[in-house]
Amino acid sequence: MKMNAYNKPLPIPTADSQPFWDACRESKLTCQRCDDCGTARFPPHHVCSNCLSVNASWEEMSGKGSVFSFTVFRRVYDPGFADEVPYVVALIELDEGPRMLSNVVSIDPDIVVCGMPVKVVFEKATEEITLPKFVPTES
Amino acid sequence: MSKTLSRSRGRFAIIGVGNTSGGVMPLTSTGDAMFAEAAIMAIKEAGIDKAEINGLVTHGTEDTRVHQQRIGAMLGIQADFATSVDNGGASQVCSIITACMAIDAGLADVVLCGYSADYRAKIHRAGKKQAVQLVPESMLAEQFRFEFGYFGEMASYAFGATRHMHLYGTTKEDFARVAVTQRDYASRNPDAQYRKPITVDEHLNARRIVDPFGLLDCCPVSDGAGVVIVARADRAANIKKNTAYILGYGTGNNIGGLFAGENMSQTAGLVSSKTAYEMAGITPKDVDTAQFYDTTTAQTIIQLEDYGFCKKGEGGAFVQSGATGPDGVIPTNTAGGLLSEGHVAGMWHILEGVRQVRQSHPAERQVSGAEIAVISGNGGNSVCHGSLVLSRNPS
Repeated sequence: MKMNAYNKPLPIPTADSQPFWDACRESKLTCQRCDDCGTARFPPHHVCSNCLSVNASWEEMSGKGSVFSFTVFRRVYDPGFADEVPYVVALIELDEGPRMLSNVVSIDPDIVVCGMPVKVVFEKATEEITLPKFVPTES
Repeated sequence: MSKTLSRSRGRFAIIGVGNTSGGVMPLTSTGDAMFAEAAIMAIKEAGIDKAEINGLVTHGTEDTRVHQQRIGAMLGIQADFATSVDNGGASQVCSIITACMAIDAGLADVVLCGYSADYRAKIHRAGKKQAVQLVPESMLAEQFRFEFGYFGEMASYAFGATRHMHLYGTTKEDFARVAVTQRDYASRNPDAQYRKPITVDEHLNARRIVDPFGLLDCCPVSDGAGVVIVARADRAANIKKNTAYILGYGTGNNIGGLFAGENMSQTAGLVSSKTAYEMAGITPKDVDTAQFYDTTTAQTIIQLEDYGFCKKGEGGAFVQSGATGPDGVIPTNTAGGLLSEGHVAGMWHILEGVRQVRQSHPAERQVSGAEIAVISGNGGNSVCHGSLVLSRNPS
């Protein structure tokens, strides 16, 4: 069997985030929604920051959103990204409300702008981890 | 006017300061040795015996714990009140505030506050070349960050700069003006890490780091220390020559984080400065010089707005007008700031404010007739914020 060549940092899921990463593996973008006050939240947490309820359910999001802000990495900070520069790291504001850090891919970094509509795509990194990334909606 | 805030106006003072010079120390230096050098200078300047110091508020580098203990042991200070603060870049201003509160509560009389950075030396000792490798291994397991290639402090501020440009039309040329102006100040500061003047073109053509920032938008990694001694104002009256009165202070926290609301294009200085001004009984018009925690060029512009020196969104045009230069309405980061003087996490901003209101600088560095200085500390991924108003006079 071929060795896995993935050489970038990988998230280590916690009890709170495991359902999120499990869903990503099935190409579903999810977040928690508070059972008591209805606030959607991301990143995953044990408690609702609005009402302190610990009751929450996972739900699938549309995967659509827009670029709230972004930066283009020109410098290599980690050897795993040596072949990636320049790459876009963006804060995506999802239509459901939560904001999520990710990458905007399949685009010339120089034409990314705040407000650009995007949708989720999934990139398998390892057998355990699939990363949610975003592409321009038009593409 | 809140009676609760105004009761603290001018009741405390900074009676002595000390620093290492240069931002670049021999790579075999230790943070403790740098701290000691700054402390000896501050104690001497205050004209006190170290036995009079019974309070200690310090901040160590990110990899130190109970930092105040090692400092107390090293300097032989038997502190009744001792603690470390952990507010990122706001830690140094928050150290002074904590000292004032401890004195007010009767827990201490004379408090030594200090910080030392030995990141370059640490990298040298570790045999590593890049600052990013100081990220603890345990942090690399953090989710929703490193897997997307999001590394380093500059990227956080780049998000804010991009957003500020989007909302208000701020430009890279505006950032360049900040870098050039602060370098001009640093060229007159023999203790600054970077003193060679730069041009707008050099700034715009510098190596790109994280858009919209190039190398000259980013503060350097520095080594150095700063120490400040705080006492009651009546204690300071005997040593007036070296005194800067603490007219007001304030704190604020964008506790929802950098990614919430519009936090990335504004600081908690919006709240913190209002509190400090109210305690001091002043408005921005009364301030003669500002020392803003400038992790990047954009942070200088953003805080000029947040502290009320111009309207929100007009910071770019404000710096282009020359407002922050030596002849401007609010000379800002007059020792060069983090960008050029060096990144001693804002402790040197406090020292510069003290020296300006004492009017103890040589003419080429002195803001003419400076009586009131405002100083900010901003950090913890731009969440934590503290403000100080220093004055030549107690009221």
